[in-house]
Amino acid sequence: MSFVQNFPFFSIILAMFSGIISSVLSGKKARNLTLMMIAVTTALSAGTLMFCLKTGESYTYMMGHFPAPWGNEIRAGVLEGVTAVLFGIVMFLSVTGGLDHTARDVEESKQNLFYIMIDLMLSSLLALIYTNDLFTAYVFVEINTIAGCGLIMIRQKGRNLSAAIRYMVMSQLGSGLFLIGLTLLYDVTGHLLMSPAKESVELLVATGRYRIPLLVIMAVISVGLAIKSGLYPFHYWIPDTYGYATPTGSAVLSGLVSKGYIFLLIKIFYRVLGYDNLVGTHMVNVLYLFGVCGMIMGSVHAISETDTRRMIAYSSVAQIGYIYMGIGLGTTAGMVASVFHIFAHSATKALLFISAVGLYEVSGDRKDFVSLRGAAFRNPLAGIGFSIGALSMVGFPMLSGFISKLLFATSALDSPEKMMPTLIVLAVSTLLNAVYFLRLVITLYSRRRPEDKPLPKQTTVRSSWALRLAIICFIGLNLVLGMSSQPIVQAITDGLAMFD
Amino acid sequence: MNINLVQHLVLNIEETVSIILFGIGFTILLLHRNLVKKIMGMNIMDTATYLFLAVKGYITGRGVPIVVDGIQDVEAYINPVPSGLVLTGIVVSVSSTALMLALTVRLYERYHSLDLDEILILAKEEEEQI
Amino acid sequence: MEGNVILLLPVVCPILAGVLVLAGKVFRKDRKSLMAVLLAVLLLEAGLTAWALTSGGSIQVWRLTSQMNISFHVDEISRLFGALTAAVWLLVGIYSVAYMSHEEEEHRFFGYYLIVVGVLMGLNFSANLITMYVFFEMMTLTSLPLVLHERSRAAVMAGLKYLFYSVAGAFLALFGIFFLAGVAEDLTFAAGGILNDNMVAGKEGLLLASTFCMIVGFGAKAGMFPLHGWLPTAHPVAPACASAVLSGLITKAGVLAVIRVVYFIVGPDRLWGTWVQNGWILLALMTVFMGSMLAYKEPVLKKRLAYSTVSQVSYVMFGLSLLTPLGFVGALSHVVFHSVIKHTLFLAAGVIIVTTGWTRVEQMRGLGRVMPLTLGCYTIASLALIGIPPASGFVSKWYLASGALSSGTGIWSWVGPVVLLVSALLTAGYLLPLTIQGYFPGHDFKGEEIEKRKLAGKEPSLWMLGPVGILAAAALLFGCFPDSIVAMAQSIAAMVL
Repeated sequence: MSFVQNFPFFSIILAMFSGIISSVLSGKKARNLTLMMIAVTTALSAGTLMFCLKTGESYTYMMGHFPAPWGNEIRAGVLEGVTAVLFGIVMFLSVTGGLDHTARDVEESKQNLFYIMIDLMLSSLLALIYTNDLFTAYVFVEINTIAGCGLIMIRQKGRNLSAAIRYMVMSQLGSGLFLIGLTLLYDVTGHLLMSPAKESVELLVATGRYRIPLLVIMAVISVGLAIKSGLYPFHYWIPDTYGYATPTGSAVLSGLVSKGYIFLLIKIFYRVLGYDNLVGTHMVNVLYLFGVCGMIMGSVHAISETDTRRMIAYSSVAQIGYIYMGIGLGTTAGMVASVFHIFAHSATKALLFISAVGLYEVSGDRKDFVSLRGAAFRNPLAGIGFSIGALSMVGFPMLSGFISKLLFATSALDSPEKMMPTLIVLAVSTLLNAVYFLRLVITLYSRRRPEDKPLPKQTTVRSSWALRLAIICFIGLNLVLGMSSQPIVQAITDGLAMFD
Repeated sequence: MNINLVQHLVLNIEETVSIILFGIGFTILLLHRNLVKKIMGMNIMDTATYLFLAVKGYITGRGVPIVVDGIQDVEAYINPVPSGLVLTGIVVSVSSTALMLALTVRLYERYHSLDLDEILILAKEEEEQI
Repeated sequence: MEGNVILLLPVVCPILAGVLVLAGKVFRKDRKSLMAVLLAVLLLEAGLTAWALTSGGSIQVWRLTSQMNISFHVDEISRLFGALTAAVWLLVGIYSVAYMSHEEEEHRFFGYYLIVVGVLMGLNFSANLITMYVFFEMMTLTSLPLVLHERSRAAVMAGLKYLFYSVAGAFLALFGIFFLAGVAEDLTFAAGGILNDNMVAGKEGLLLASTFCMIVGFGAKAGMFPLHGWLPTAHPVAPACASAVLSGLITKAGVLAVIRVVYFIVGPDRLWGTWVQNGWILLALMTVFMGSMLAYKEPVLKKRLAYSTVSQVSYVMFGLSLLTPLGFVGALSHVVFHSVIKHTLFLAAGVIIVTTGWTRVEQMRGLGRVMPLTLGCYTIASLALIGIPPASGFVSKWYLASGALSSGTGIWSWVGPVVLLVSALLTAGYLLPLTIQGYFPGHDFKGEEIEKRKLAGKEPSLWMLGPVGILAAAALLFGCFPDSIVAMAQSIAAMVL
């Protein structure tokens, strides 16, 4: 067993300990510790990825003294590695981009609490990526929820608090369902560790026993995690939550939190319930249907929004619909497309939120269309960043969104019954995306008209170096995903092959 | 057939009760407007799940899984794993409850209401005035 | 990157130059240096294009995925479109030097002007469907600032309309591209089509549907019904030099895309006699008629010319839809001729607007007293467009008509020429009144406004008159000596049909 194999464990523990230590540090020190920790854990994840690519298989790592199936273990493979690296990069850039806003918006005494939340969020994301045990997954799902709630309500404004309570209520509904699903699974299989549980499930499916309980388990776990990740029609908490947090908070919440739950869902599908079983029971069709509805309805709501933060948040609803549609296609190609879109959306949505913050800065902190007119001239880099993010969402070639759409379309061609609806919905939703995103981009680049109200004095603020650095790096990430997608797609495909 | 079903339900009365309680708790969390009642509903829901889980570990006629009088025989104790899970779960549930109660207190101080719909409306109006 | 690097130069150099012009602060103040850079780059571009077209070959620029890459190559079609683009862009550039002095923020216009020619070259040189699609989208985005240039409310609304129609068309086409990517391993263009029967077995219906989507989608850029609505709004609101290239060349990009799809990917044999061909012919003829009708009724000159573009580019689409060699020759020659003619017309209209401020045709009585030379060029171009021998339009329309009559497409073989004839009459009806009223305003015309504003004999400067004259002469001479162009078109037709 080589040293590299310890890295997943190290990264989770490191993140947690940073959180604990930050409770006694001042705001600035906590911030520096967080940034360093994210960088180190991302490097560790990269190391894990390299290792798994070299050996070509995933390995399990025993946590504690008891081997499977009594003890706890984590598992690392190519897919986990590449996801961890990407999430780490997005988190690092999100924290960097919102650095000065965090310092401004959050009270001095609570600064370190914010960074504790970030640390816990990262540790829970890593744990969700690497865990091989269902109950551990539940615990970290809850930690993720609480950390997310902390990120939302760190700003004590009224809208934040009401968004936070709404978020908690919906999240707890989802967690409750997830927990009862786990419990039923334990009841039926007697295992909590994923791999032994899968063997039991296979046995049960083969003998035909407990057919209805298995169906109920699949449904309840899927719905539970779907509520938590914001699948239509469980998305009502998203606009308030994503829209009103601090910049880092919005970027992390929209880019990473939902994706962690979706990743867990995919993991459970592959490693516990068996993907073929799922397809056989037509559970995937339900997810497909909701995904498709989300794609359309999310965009429809976005078009009618005048507050641009809520508009970007509704676009998240649509994009999460894309991901579920891909899962619902029921083929490996669809799953690869979904995972790639998880990456593409994380990077792009974070870019959109961070750039939007840059634009709000020069528009007197206002978020509506009229105030943002011409904002791209006042803050060119944020304007370019937002435009690239918007074009990527629409599916412009050379950017990550185009590759996602291409993967979705080619995977749709493989499943005859779902092909036509998928392609039609892809086309319609792309058009809808174009309407609200390009409308905003053109507004950003229009000149102010004489009849517009004059902006307050803050418009001369120059964005901090951290924000600009984050925008540039996000643009680079997007271009990498768009132009050199082949190795990443290959890694995802290999990772999925060794995922179960 | 129906009698058979009722028999099954009565035989596994703990599981039946826990599922019913889960349903009650879920519905309260979802539908009630009062925040404190929502939190209560969440607790009922979680506790119901723990009841279910705890029952899974119970084996009739055996004792609590703490080694007493040096009896190390496995046959003397119930399955300890579910109990451990329940303990973990209780911790998680308590943390979530604490967080939600803290939020409720803050919201009450600000809006003097415990009704979630009312709070959402008030928050929206407050935002628009700024 | 393997292959002939020279092919990259006509694409990359203008784009870099354009970005430099946009970013460089010196160009905002110093007009002379801006003009110098502009003309130098355009001349360089013409030279580089000539070099690239003669050296030929291909180059693979970037691998996007295992299936798709960005590649350029030079074939006969690239030569035709490339030469046309570079030459005309240079002439319009010279014209803009004088024209844009009447507009503001010239550096922005010229920056994008340079970038667009680079992107158009990339489109001309595209070796596969994916490269073509990428450059097609880029062209939409980079030509948008040209439409929006004036930043007035009307310009912004027109720009948005242009954007949405283009995006809608491109995504319609994308549907077809996705289908083809699923069936064929390699989407590189090959004369006559890349599909063989194995690939499409069982999916013929879907193939036809996706081809139709691609024709309609790319046809949006060419102003073909039903996605033509943006053209009459966007072309008039842009500055005249931008309208000229929008009508004259950027619409032809849509035509190029359709040619590549039909003749180089799907193959004309697969479409012969199908509902796709019939539908295409129908849409093209409808657009020809409708465009001419609307142009006839339109009082604003630039909008009239925009409707005329809608009509004329569908002449080309009609010729392509016939799927016969004669029709193809007619279509390709009309691409060249119409481009030259429409540029002349729009540039002349720009001169009129800039010198006199008149935008409506009824205001332009007695124009012959103000600028007889310009009006003369306009007249020559009009005659060419109507199709009067020996001007160029006659040659292309002759080929189109004979192509239709001999095409064997049933009802269209006589409905087509009838529509072409009616449209030619309408074209005369909407183009000639300006000439007639300009030179022969009638006995009751006093010309007070001309005297009051001292407009008599006010020809534009040589910067503007020169290109207009050269283009008008080309419109005439291409008709007198059409052999080179017709021969080129015939060789391409032989290749694909």
